[in-house]
Amino acid sequence: MSHEGRRAAARHERGIADGAPVDQAGPDRTEERFLRPFAVAAGDPGGPASGGDLAPLDLLTLVVAARTPGRNEWLRPECGTILRHALRARTVVELSAEVNLPVGQVRAMVARMIADGSLQRCGPSRPLARKDILHAVLVGLRSL
Amino acid sequence: MASADSDTRPGEPEAIPQAVKIIIAGGFGVGKTTMVASVSEITPLSTEEVMTEAGYGIDDTEGVEEKTTTTVALDFGRITVSPDVVLYLFGTPGQNRFWFMWDELAEGALGAVVLADTRRLETCFHAVDFFERRGVPFAVAVNRFEGATDYETEEVRKALDVAPEVPILLADARDRGSCRDVLVALVTHVIRGRSPALSG
Ligand SMILES: Nc1nc2c(ncn2[C@@H]2O[C@H](COP(=O)(O)OP(=O)(O)OP(=O)(O)O)[C@@H](O)[C@H]2O)c(=O)[nH]1
Ligand SMILES: [Mg+2]
Repeated sequence: MSHEGRRAAARHERGIADGAPVDQAGPDRTEERFLRPFAVAAGDPGGPASGGDLAPLDLLTLVVAARTPGRNEWLRPECGTILRHALRARTVVELSAEVNLPVGQVRAMVARMIADGSLQRCGPSRPLARKDILHAVLVGLRSL
Repeated sequence: MASADSDTRPGEPEAIPQAVKIIIAGGFGVGKTTMVASVSEITPLSTEEVMTEAGYGIDDTEGVEEKTTTTVALDFGRITVSPDVVLYLFGTPGQNRFWFMWDELAEGALGAVVLADTRRLETCFHAVDFFERRGVPFAVAVNRFEGATDYETEEVRKALDVAPEVPILLADARDRGSCRDVLVALVTHVIRGRSPALSG
């Protein structure tokens, strides 16, 4: 068999072996097998009518504390921990690593805390065009 | 602000950089975590995603039926490339059954590195297919493990059947300079792809 055909052939074999149609083999097919227990709660605590902050939280969404930690935190100590780590702007994924909780769970907590005013989303101070971002990345990587 | 006070109060204005990401993908044990660690300015952080496998009594409100949960480790590193931009590098989970995490990882990514091990090249076919299909620009880094035959990059290109403009580099994920070269090649490729008139 020619080299060129190898990847396509492998795709085909996977499809046959898994008993799934070839064009559905690969990434998408297994998605339904797993549920993320926290993903649903993370979606939209206030419903579509609650206004503001409706865009879904992704791993790199930046949030910052909107109030001082301390009040009522004995009820939900993890929220206090998140607040303390978010005194400076943090991405959701960094918070998750810092507080040592699964990212799905942190995402759900962050969504609730945005809804109750404990956290707020923040964007970059100096938003850049994509071409300027790519340029900055290239320059930064070259000097590694 | 002129204040020398290092305590940051909630809501106080501070310079918040733009967060962008590049994905490090490839088959199981190919060196993804190693590559993230080689270039990250922080000790790579690891987080987990908890999954419940469907079909094992998840609808059972009494919770007596067996429920299979599994965790996926997600490791990431960080490079502050400028005062305004922070680059995150995400190593994908190695096992194919965690593909659904790739969707989220790939969303909005600047690009991806596909690590390939020539002793078992087929383990990166999935990754190549995935990024091609999503239109995520990628570069291929061929890791040279001991005992692997040395291949020319063009042989790898043929075997993987990727387009001529896709950068393919021989690399060592343990070596910072080598990883830097791969990332620079990727970002150069991304920039060229966006403005073909400027390439050359
Ligand atoms: N010779 C050689 N060994 C490498 C290279 N990159 C990684 N290794 C070794 O390969 C092993 C696996 O590397 P990891 O970085 O853990 O691989 P991974 O892709 O993150 O693995 P999973 O997350 O389990 O899929 C480690 O023992 C590394 O030291 C390389 O470029 N050359
Ligand atoms: Mg790993």
